[in-house]
Amino acid sequence: MSGNFLRWLPAVIVPAVVVAAVIAVPLQAGAAVDLPDKTPEQVLLLVNDSTVSTFSGTVAQSADLGLPSLDLGAGMNEVAPTGTSTGTSTGTSTGSSTVALTTALELLSGSHDFRVYAGGENRFRVQVKDRMDERDVIHNGSDVWLYDSSSNAATHLRLPPDLSAAAAEKLAELPSQLPSDLSTPSQLAERVLTELEPSTTVSVGTDARVAGRSVYQLVLTPRTTDTLVASVSIAVDAETGLPLQVTVLAVGQSTPAFQVGFTAIDFAAPEAALFDFVPPAGATVTEQAVPNLSGTVGEGGVDHSYDPSKAAGAVPIVTGTGWSSITEVPAAAVAAELGDNPMIDQLTTAVDGGRALKTSLLTVFLAGDGRVFAGAVPLARLQAAAE
Amino acid sequence: MSSSDVSVPNSAEVPVRGRGGWDLLGSELAVLFRRRRTWAMLVAIALIPILLAVAVRLSSSTLNPGEGPPFLDRVTQNGLFVGFTAMVVAIPLFLPLTIGVVAGDTIAGEAGLGTLRYLLVAPAGRVRLLLVKYVGAAVFCLVATLTLTVSGALIGAALFPVGPVTLLSGDTISVAESLLRSLLVAAYVTVSLLGLAMIGLFISTLTDVPVGAMAATVVVSVVAQILDVIPQLSWLHPWLFSHYWLGFADLLRQPLDLGSFGQNAIVQACYLAVFGALAYSRFVTKDILS
Repeated sequence: MSGNFLRWLPAVIVPAVVVAAVIAVPLQAGAAVDLPDKTPEQVLLLVNDSTVSTFSGTVAQSADLGLPSLDLGAGMNEVAPTGTSTGTSTGTSTGSSTVALTTALELLSGSHDFRVYAGGENRFRVQVKDRMDERDVIHNGSDVWLYDSSSNAATHLRLPPDLSAAAAEKLAELPSQLPSDLSTPSQLAERVLTELEPSTTVSVGTDARVAGRSVYQLVLTPRTTDTLVASVSIAVDAETGLPLQVTVLAVGQSTPAFQVGFTAIDFAAPEAALFDFVPPAGATVTEQAVPNLSGTVGEGGVDHSYDPSKAAGAVPIVTGTGWSSITEVPAAAVAAELGDNPMIDQLTTAVDGGRALKTSLLTVFLAGDGRVFAGAVPLARLQAAAE
Repeated sequence: MSSSDVSVPNSAEVPVRGRGGWDLLGSELAVLFRRRRTWAMLVAIALIPILLAVAVRLSSSTLNPGEGPPFLDRVTQNGLFVGFTAMVVAIPLFLPLTIGVVAGDTIAGEAGLGTLRYLLVAPAGRVRLLLVKYVGAAVFCLVATLTLTVSGALIGAALFPVGPVTLLSGDTISVAESLLRSLLVAAYVTVSLLGLAMIGLFISTLTDVPVGAMAATVVVSVVAQILDVIPQLSWLHPWLFSHYWLGFADLLRQPLDLGSFGQNAIVQACYLAVFGALAYSRFVTKDILS
């Protein structure tokens, strides 16, 4: 009998050890970290002094916004044929705007894994890891490539060479335009904190570990109670000053409403070949022009120029300040197709005076008269603003 | 009962101390791969890519990108994708089914035939027998995935052009490197199935009815996959043995991503430990009556 008892011991001990290890290992990774204390200003300085230009890492993003669940696949199928069959510019633009909306919603819901590579000197690559597919964005100097493995389609954007030059010029002008008391980074940090002061409490939270590195947590807490945002915390690598994680907590929700951060990071320069993208044989390649800074459009490009006369009286109005500010888009600026889009019906619920999209961080209110209100505030405040 | 009056059943020789384990393993593998059932399963596995390739070859309509199972639309451009598509198709049901048959049969099959006690006449024979049975099932996992990979590569090369392979990241690699990646995928899938094989071995120690153990193992694999798609159980997902089954897509990215290979191996190792211990305790305390 005791022999049998001994023989059953492994069946009890091994599972117990495995379960204990499964629970203990993540706890170990999050074990208490004690870094030398820093003030929020010093942490901001740390970020400012960061010289990291090359790294490769994996990024995990998760969102728990309480978005209504959507049949994204059905929406795509419904729209794609109309876009291709009409072939007109309006048809395709409706299609692509819905596709863009679907993509944005898809990235904002659930969780996603990315691989990120930075090679310095305008070289950057992001890979969105889907289960059996991948979407890539490769930026190398003046070339930007987008590649989607599920459709085997590549899009090429050629940034006008004067874009980066002009941007650099503007950047060089910036210090001279700034008030003279912002000449040093520490003054800049002080200024940022002063600007935030009326609306936000800035503090340094408990030190933690992100992607296996010790981090300072810069916590921004809204002073107002009129917002849906409970706090925003930014994890800053203690050694390099690179922000490693951003977590947004919503009021009345214990899990982060939105979190994006590195799960692993390596500061060695990635292989240079990673940024030389050549579209694979058989892929559909689309060349897309980017409007340069003067507003003219490159050859063969789509006209993205913006008609200022049309926009008159259609500029979004921001009311309120800080966290509880509300953006109002006048009816004239709202795309007409928005009302017809079946996805909008699916996303929103009927409320007093219009339709509303409620998430844990952002509320959008489509007023009956066509105006659109949005803000990180409760719905009642948007409805009050609409009156 | 002493060992002297036992007539040794065919091919299941009494283990001798010392080199006995290897002899036992050799005879176990010989029995396994001499079975007509094993061959039938391997042929069926080899037929998956062949059917896929022939169907794509004969059909006149071309698939749009993203249609059908992953990679199927690329098969016509590059035959080397046949193996990958076949792997995706075979992982959820067919491979677990064959593993269930082999692993479920290990102990229960011998018990059902009444040959188990002959295998256990040597002292300390039970642990050794359990190990040998498990290694046999694991070897079958490897042979099954390699069969699929090789048959996919051969039929793909026979029916379609072969050239540099486009990875999920849009980068292109040479044929030689793509064959290397195919072998890595086979290794990944083999590792993925090891946990299920151990579960099958454990279930097999519970019963004398081999069909029951086989069916139960397959049911476990299906249940794990159903649990894996229930969002309310997302905390459990990373610890389901089937969670990383399709993670071999990570081996088709550039640069090579071995992260899910490692996670998969850890999860499978946990299952090996837990169900190995359960199988040990159950088997060494079991009354062997037949």
